[in-house]
Amino acid sequence: MTQFVLKRLAAMVAVLLVLAATVFVLQRLTPTDPVHAMLGGNASKAMIAAEKHKLGYDKPMVAQYVDYIGGLLHGDLQMSLRTRRPVATDLGQYLPATLELTLFALVVAVVLGGLMGIATAARFRGSGVLRVVLLSAASAPSFLLAVLGILLFYRKLGWLPATGRSSVANVPTGPTGLLTVDGLLHGRLDVVTDAFKHLVLPGLCVGIGPAMSIGRVLRSSLVNTMRTDYVRTARAKGQRESVVLLRHAVRNSLGPALSMTGLQVGLMFAGVVVIEQVFAWPGIGLYTIQSIPRTDFPAIAGVTLVLGAGYVIVNAVIDVLQAAADPRIAL
Amino acid sequence: MALAEPYVAPALRGRFGRTRRRTRWSSVSHVDQIAIGALVAVTLLAVVTPWIAPHSATRPAGTSLVHPFHGFVFGTDEVGRDVFSRVLYGLRTSWLAALLVIASGVLIGGLIGLVAGAAGGWIDNVLMRITDAFLSLPGPILAIAVVAALGPSLSHTLIAVMIVWWPFYARIVRGEVRALAARPHLEAARLAGVGRVRLAVRHLLPGAIPATVVTASLDVGNLVLTLAALSFLGLGAPAPAPELGAMAARGLPYLLEQWWVPVMPGLGVLFLALVSNLAGDGLRDLIGDR
Repeated sequence: MTQFVLKRLAAMVAVLLVLAATVFVLQRLTPTDPVHAMLGGNASKAMIAAEKHKLGYDKPMVAQYVDYIGGLLHGDLQMSLRTRRPVATDLGQYLPATLELTLFALVVAVVLGGLMGIATAARFRGSGVLRVVLLSAASAPSFLLAVLGILLFYRKLGWLPATGRSSVANVPTGPTGLLTVDGLLHGRLDVVTDAFKHLVLPGLCVGIGPAMSIGRVLRSSLVNTMRTDYVRTARAKGQRESVVLLRHAVRNSLGPALSMTGLQVGLMFAGVVVIEQVFAWPGIGLYTIQSIPRTDFPAIAGVTLVLGAGYVIVNAVIDVLQAAADPRIAL
Repeated sequence: MALAEPYVAPALRGRFGRTRRRTRWSSVSHVDQIAIGALVAVTLLAVVTPWIAPHSATRPAGTSLVHPFHGFVFGTDEVGRDVFSRVLYGLRTSWLAALLVIASGVLIGGLIGLVAGAAGGWIDNVLMRITDAFLSLPGPILAIAVVAALGPSLSHTLIAVMIVWWPFYARIVRGEVRALAARPHLEAARLAGVGRVRLAVRHLLPGAIPATVVTASLDVGNLVLTLAALSFLGLGAPAPAPELGAMAARGLPYLLEQWWVPVMPGLGVLFLALVSNLAGDGLRDLIGDR
């Protein structure tokens, strides 16, 4: 087990280095010269050369990469060309909003996917219709869900807000930056319910697609488990079908659904970027969208590194969890 | 040295073999039959769009923001362009782009998988470690970074998605090829003196085709959605071009009063993704065993 964890950690570090290398290469491919962008058009050749030397751009590529990695390890994500602030500071400001939305969407995806997988594993009349309905939900682009959700729940019914994270005037600036958690910590229930209302629509829009994928994998894994000998034994003991399914089959079928959840986190990051634009959610996605037209590559590199690292780490943790749940995997 | 090539076992002849269970059109559910039909129709539609679109996609056809069914099926947008024609052109772009990316993914991934699987040893090791590294990074996020680095345009978006889309296929083809390489008839072929390249192309590659086709057909729907999302983020062709994602994004300010401007392109994406997902399921049943 220890060996498996160590191996997995080594693989994770290797992948993170590849991620950094990819971003590093992309940075060199950008048409905008960072030195020119920083000094402006009137800079003399000597000034540019001096600045290049100061920033280490005249060193060999490999040395530059080593410097780059060293900077990353110290939390240096370079300066944003648009906001003229360190990218790390910008991300620190926008990250909590995105984190809260992603976590909420993840809960939605897991709960909805789990329910759906279990419900569809049993065959019943109309399961064909259900299949088309679920496939439609999986085929809907998240921005369409968002747009229809706003039309229905905001415009028609007026139940849910359509923009932003909060409509309360003085929100607590708490330790975590997650409004629901900070609200609870400060005992401000109004903030919590308000933040929750703002979360529901965007969270659902981000979570529904992944929920469908998780549900489909869980379903096929359940269907396989239900054919095994031990399930037949459980049935032969005279247990009710629901008990067989929920108590005996589900636990052994969770593995593939769990790895699917890990993979879906990557798609959810992309979904969050889109959804934040629709709901004017002040997170990393909005930051990305504002950075793209200004060709602010350091900002986008920072976003890619943070989200990419998050994805890689989440998947490594899930692998280890799976090995802990089913020791056969570590062999 | 004119040794006859060894007989290729029937199972390897894939769906064209005589001994293999015949897959029949009628064994596929009605929904899937309709979907496969619709997919063929969409492809034809994408080809002939310029001749059947009722109006221009980029020039105004009437007054701005006309409601749907008041002379224009999907209404008109903020500058009076026919939304239906724009959605038609958008479907064409999305569909052809998705096919192009899938084809390149299958080609690049297939080639790398074939080389890795057929060569084995350190070549296999190196190629697969690279593939694994790419597979463990979040594709869509990486694609955004690539487009941002190259500058937003449709061709850059396609290049970006191609870069992140091949590893999956490399893995599948390599797995199939490795499994085949261990079979006795491959050893027979090797003993008969079949060269490496011919062995890979003639004897290993055909075995990997069914799995690849099934995977690719199930994958098109995802790709359509990913491309639409990137286009929504502004990573596609610039302003007047009719792209479904970008149309929805630019229509957002009109959502509350003129809902059809952002909704109709979104429905276009839904239609395309749903048809490809259903047809993918159908093709899986048709081609069989996986």
